[in-house]
Amino acid sequence: MLAYVIRRVAGTIPVIILISLLVFMLVQAAPGDPADLLLSDEATAEDVADARARWGLDQPVWVQYWKFLTAALQGDLGTSFRYADPVLTMIAERLPATIELAVVSIIIAVVIAVPLGVWAGARPNSWIDNLGSLVGLFGISMPNFWFGIMLILVMSGILNLLPSSGRDTYGIAGDPITGFYLLDSVIKGNWRGLWDGLAHIAMPAIALGTNMMGILMRVTRSSVMEVMHEEYVTTARAKGVSERAVLWHHVVRNALVPIVTVVGLELGTLLSGSIIVETVFSWPGSGQLLISAITSRDYPLITGTVLTYTMAFVIINFTVDILYAAIDPRIRFDK
Amino acid sequence: MVMSPTIGAPGLRRTFAVTVAALGMFAAVTSGHAQSRVAVGVTETISSHNPHGDSISMGYGIWCQVYGCLGTYDFEKGDYVGMLAERWEVNKDNPNEWIFHLRKGMKRHNDGKELTAEDVVHSINRMAKDPQTRQKQNVRNVTDVVALDKYTVKVVTDKPTAPLLEYLFDRVMITGKDLWAKHGARDADRKYPWGWGPYKLKELVIGQRIVLEKVKDHPDAKPQNPDVLIFRIMREPEQRVTALLNNEIQIAQFVPPHLAPRIEGSGNAAIKSTNSVELMFLAMSPKNKPWDNKQLRQAVCHAINKDAIIKAVLQGQAQRLDGPIGPGQYGYDPEATETMKIPYDPEKARQLVKQAGLSGTEVTLYTPVGRYVNDKQVTEAMIPMLNAIGLKATLATPEWATLWADVQKGKVPFYYMGRGSVVDPSVALSQYFETGGSPRIGISDPEIDKHLRAEREIFDPEARKKELNKAFAAIVEAAPACFMWRHRLLYGVSKKIEHTPTPSGRVFGVDIVVKN
Repeated sequence: MLAYVIRRVAGTIPVIILISLLVFMLVQAAPGDPADLLLSDEATAEDVADARARWGLDQPVWVQYWKFLTAALQGDLGTSFRYADPVLTMIAERLPATIELAVVSIIIAVVIAVPLGVWAGARPNSWIDNLGSLVGLFGISMPNFWFGIMLILVMSGILNLLPSSGRDTYGIAGDPITGFYLLDSVIKGNWRGLWDGLAHIAMPAIALGTNMMGILMRVTRSSVMEVMHEEYVTTARAKGVSERAVLWHHVVRNALVPIVTVVGLELGTLLSGSIIVETVFSWPGSGQLLISAITSRDYPLITGTVLTYTMAFVIINFTVDILYAAIDPRIRFDK
Repeated sequence: MVMSPTIGAPGLRRTFAVTVAALGMFAAVTSGHAQSRVAVGVTETISSHNPHGDSISMGYGIWCQVYGCLGTYDFEKGDYVGMLAERWEVNKDNPNEWIFHLRKGMKRHNDGKELTAEDVVHSINRMAKDPQTRQKQNVRNVTDVVALDKYTVKVVTDKPTAPLLEYLFDRVMITGKDLWAKHGARDADRKYPWGWGPYKLKELVIGQRIVLEKVKDHPDAKPQNPDVLIFRIMREPEQRVTALLNNEIQIAQFVPPHLAPRIEGSGNAAIKSTNSVELMFLAMSPKNKPWDNKQLRQAVCHAINKDAIIKAVLQGQAQRLDGPIGPGQYGYDPEATETMKIPYDPEKARQLVKQAGLSGTEVTLYTPVGRYVNDKQVTEAMIPMLNAIGLKATLATPEWATLWADVQKGKVPFYYMGRGSVVDPSVALSQYFETGGSPRIGISDPEIDKHLRAEREIFDPEARKKELNKAFAAIVEAAPACFMWRHRLLYGVSKKIEHTPTPSGRVFGVDIVVKN
């Protein structure tokens, strides 16, 4: 196991370096100059040249990349052109909002999709199966930006039940401890802050999690259906085990591997999907930061944020692989 | 086989009731705040704690009411009014010297330190030299700043600069020299954002919100002004309108025309509008063929039916321009403007194209998409108008970053665009139409140059306005651009407050009245 972990960690290093090179080059190749976009309408050619020199853009691209890489290896992702703050600090400030949103989305998706999928898989062609298929189709087909706008229109515009955007109401959350508002509210015993946080996160999390819910529901259903026909299930039934115990102890446990895989992969998709949802709901996370970085050609911030997403994908995939062993004792990493 | 306990009808009703109650609690939590808190849904964010670290209109407006600035343009009066400066004058013997007299007894938030001329000198110098400044252009003409005494500042320019107030007034934020010296720029901006404005900075979460709190004993702050003013970044118009109707915010900035009826029909908010100070124009760069032909440029100006586009595409929410500027902007003269009017005359336009020998010429009109109100639809409507005069016009819609970079370098021959923040037009017109200005249009016309240079050196307001109008006429005649319209800025305003939007798009807390 340890050897496997070391091998995997070593394998990710060239991946990350390669991605950093790709992102750096692609960003540089994109048309549009940061100085033109970030300086005022009234900036002169001299102002533009000054800014380019200050940001190191007057140097050859390979020199810029080398400087970036050597600094990144020491934990410095550079300074944002637009915000004039260290990129790492900015990402660290915004990442909790994105992670919190992704986690709540997953919870919503799993809580709805897994029981529904299990039920649908256990009773194919029943009304619950049809309902599950409908939910799955809806989730997979619905573009999250459109669904988000519809949620705002209905839940905020018509019913006036939830706040239309933002992460909290000014003055309620108090000073952050971890940066995760819901967790901070629980730690501080600030129940009003917790309600406020839940009210703000509800719609973006639903909009973000619906797609995953659809996929997860369908995967769970097919996985359960497949396992239901295994011999050990027949054996369990023959031994007189109750149907509920068969389903939850034998079927679901064995159907979990593909479900965990999907949850893992979708967690990465949720992080990238949050880029759109964060914009729709003015959610102050790293996705919104990336959008603003791209529109202003803030090279260090784009590269830093994309690298962070890459790292997140690598870590998630790695964690999922390790989880396989915990879920399915037949899986071994020794060789 | 029973998979889970069945939820019967009473159970469903109970679940529904609990859900609604919980959601109701959410709503109560999020909307329950004091009456004197006003939130404004805005489209831009301040990107730095450094008041000189950004150059956006909203940022100038916010920092100006926190740190304080020398003055601003009063659109109702049509003239500049003092804020931290009580009066100013130009040295009659040396028009390069301006003297600003500061208000006495202005106390800084938090520590009560009095505003002095040294703070103004420090701020102007910092604006030019701070490594993070993006406002250097505002003080480019300033060669020296001196504190003559505790309350008097002398500003020296490199040449007579009549429009200096446009650069210096609500664009130079007055930061404390002592705080900067004691804590350094970074800590002074982040930990001690104390100033002399009527509001103090309570919270700045970049990309999310800016919270200001009224300084109750400030001489400009009135009891009926909101105690707390929150600027919430809400880029989606749908979101701003919904939040306004929910009373999450009380002012929604830049409502698109198609959403205005929703606000008007709501009963709890209304649409207030004002003409923006952004000039929309069609630029034709004479350094690129076929736009080096003046007749062709003039033909394009005759070909576009501005009134029809305003009515049909912009739903009436724009004011036609017949010269570079319109009512409320410095130097506007209705009589002079009438003589610059270019009527919609496709027949004349066709003849001009023919005379130029350019019938059948292919031209490409570039436009940003989504940056200005209905920009793509507006330019789509222009294409058949251009084709009707004998051109073969096509539309190009590159991404904004690409288009703007190319325009900045003078690589785009024909484009639809806006120039914002035009209160005194001197700076903008020089930038676009004077020889040696930016390469965005690249015209070089001795007549335009003569009048633009002359107006900058005239300090008598009436004489300067006359000279400005000569410059306007010269630009219209040379036709490097067709001036189209100024959009009407629509604001959704809650009926719980009184607020009249300004053409600059800035929102000042002291201009808002919270009704009881």
